[in-house]
Amino acid sequence: MTKKIKKYFKIWWMMSRNSFSAIIDQKLALSVFLIGKVLRFIFFFGFLYFLLLGTKTLAGYSSNQVIFFFLTFNIIDVISQFLFREVYRFRPMIINGDFDLVLAKPLNPLFRVLMGAADVIDLVTIPPLVAATIYFGSLLHPSFISVFYYLVLLLNGLLIAAAFHVIVLSFAIVTLEVDHTIMIYRDLTSLGRLPIDIYQQPLRAFLTYLLPVGIMITLPAKAMMGTMSAMGIILAFIVGILAVFVALRFWNYALTKYSSASS
Amino acid sequence: MKKYWGIFRISFQQEFAYRLNFVLWRVRNVFQILLTYFLWSTVFAGPGTQIFGYDRAKILTYVFAIMIVRALVFSARAMDVSRDIAQGDLSNYLLKPLSYLKYWFTRDVSSKVLNLIFAGAEFIILFLILRPPFFFQGDTVALLAFTASIILAIMIYFFILFLISSIPFWAPEIGWGSHFLVTVVIIEAFSGALFPINILPQGLQSFIMATPFPYLIYFPVQVYLGNIQGSALMGGLMVALAWTGVLWFSLKFIWQKGLKVYQAIGR
Repeated sequence: MTKKIKKYFKIWWMMSRNSFSAIIDQKLALSVFLIGKVLRFIFFFGFLYFLLLGTKTLAGYSSNQVIFFFLTFNIIDVISQFLFREVYRFRPMIINGDFDLVLAKPLNPLFRVLMGAADVIDLVTIPPLVAATIYFGSLLHPSFISVFYYLVLLLNGLLIAAAFHVIVLSFAIVTLEVDHTIMIYRDLTSLGRLPIDIYQQPLRAFLTYLLPVGIMITLPAKAMMGTMSAMGIILAFIVGILAVFVALRFWNYALTKYSSASS
Repeated sequence: MKKYWGIFRISFQQEFAYRLNFVLWRVRNVFQILLTYFLWSTVFAGPGTQIFGYDRAKILTYVFAIMIVRALVFSARAMDVSRDIAQGDLSNYLLKPLSYLKYWFTRDVSSKVLNLIFAGAEFIILFLILRPPFFFQGDTVALLAFTASIILAIMIYFFILFLISSIPFWAPEIGWGSHFLVTVVIIEAFSGALFPINILPQGLQSFIMATPFPYLIYFPVQVYLGNIQGSALMGGLMVALAWTGVLWFSLKFIWQKGLKVYQAIGR
């Protein structure tokens, strides 16, 4: 098992290095995207700041708490984009039949199409984002156990994000559609930029249980604020594991539908 | 005129060739509206709440109006121009007896008509589900000014898209990057599609109002709500008209320069 993990880590490292070299070669494009991502973050942060300056609270949460929700969303969003960027490039592989080449290699095809090209642009944005999250998190005066729950639930959130990406890949094989599906995933998760308490029922229940955006983003932040019970955390993990299970089942089903078109 | 009518019809039918694509695009729009709607609905949850000069009816009308104004202004195909330039496909159009600019404007109009139909249906469905308080504008002058501001917004957005799409004449590798930066990030934030500009501090408001972006969404919606009237309305329309002119002349200049350096790479 350890040998296998080492092998896959080595492959991931090689693929990521290749991906980084390809992006760094295009310095102008890299700068434009980086500026765009940073500005998008600043604009929404600024909007929240000015909004909360006028309203003081949102759905009962203080300014610092709302900002912390937003930062937690960004942490999960940026890390999953950094790790799973290859998903955005999957469609041409399916359309041209190049996925055949992936299937023929002695490597798990899901690993290749999910994590085949880490994104250096997102990597650059992670350290300042983590620093901002630590700063705003410290303003909430969390206990040690709250921080521990937060980190564990953050990992669970990334697990759910991975499951979503696997579902998008599977959907791509079945329908040949990726571009909008992945953006719908992004739009859905972006509903978690703010605490899901702002949504009315049944949308809130939908976002908590069916599409577990709440469990993925809102719950870790709530754990940091000390408002999560141990039972809630166990439930969150059950949903995370279930999401991965469903995603893998769908992936296996989708593989049987791959027609190797155009190859 | 007949050939552009033909382009309109073909472009309209083309959208139906990728039905799933189109439906998913509309689903995305609904999600974006839901975030904005519930955010403002929560902010104005208390009875009689008045913040930033809005009450609950006006802010929720703003959100619902965005749905329609977005479909009218932001539905466009002209971002594909950058791909034509970067891949050399522009040559095909330069040889044809048609105006490339009018060709894309016609395609934009076709996209707007289709998106407007769907946005109208979404508007009705969401309205029936959410039942928000809604402000109906009955003043003819405000409605006429709203129509004028929408026409100017469509022209401004078209010229901005075309200008951004001209960048690949000089830097083909940043075709999509420049669209991401301008249309996805800057226009989304400064147009008022996410939040009304007047929740920002006065200095920042003045800065943004001096750019063409708020005349895409914020200004037309404010005109509809009746928040901009009299000399402020005329002044706003004049600024939008001036931006239309500036962008039109800039586009003519940049496009001529671009054609001179165009190398039909990939052909």
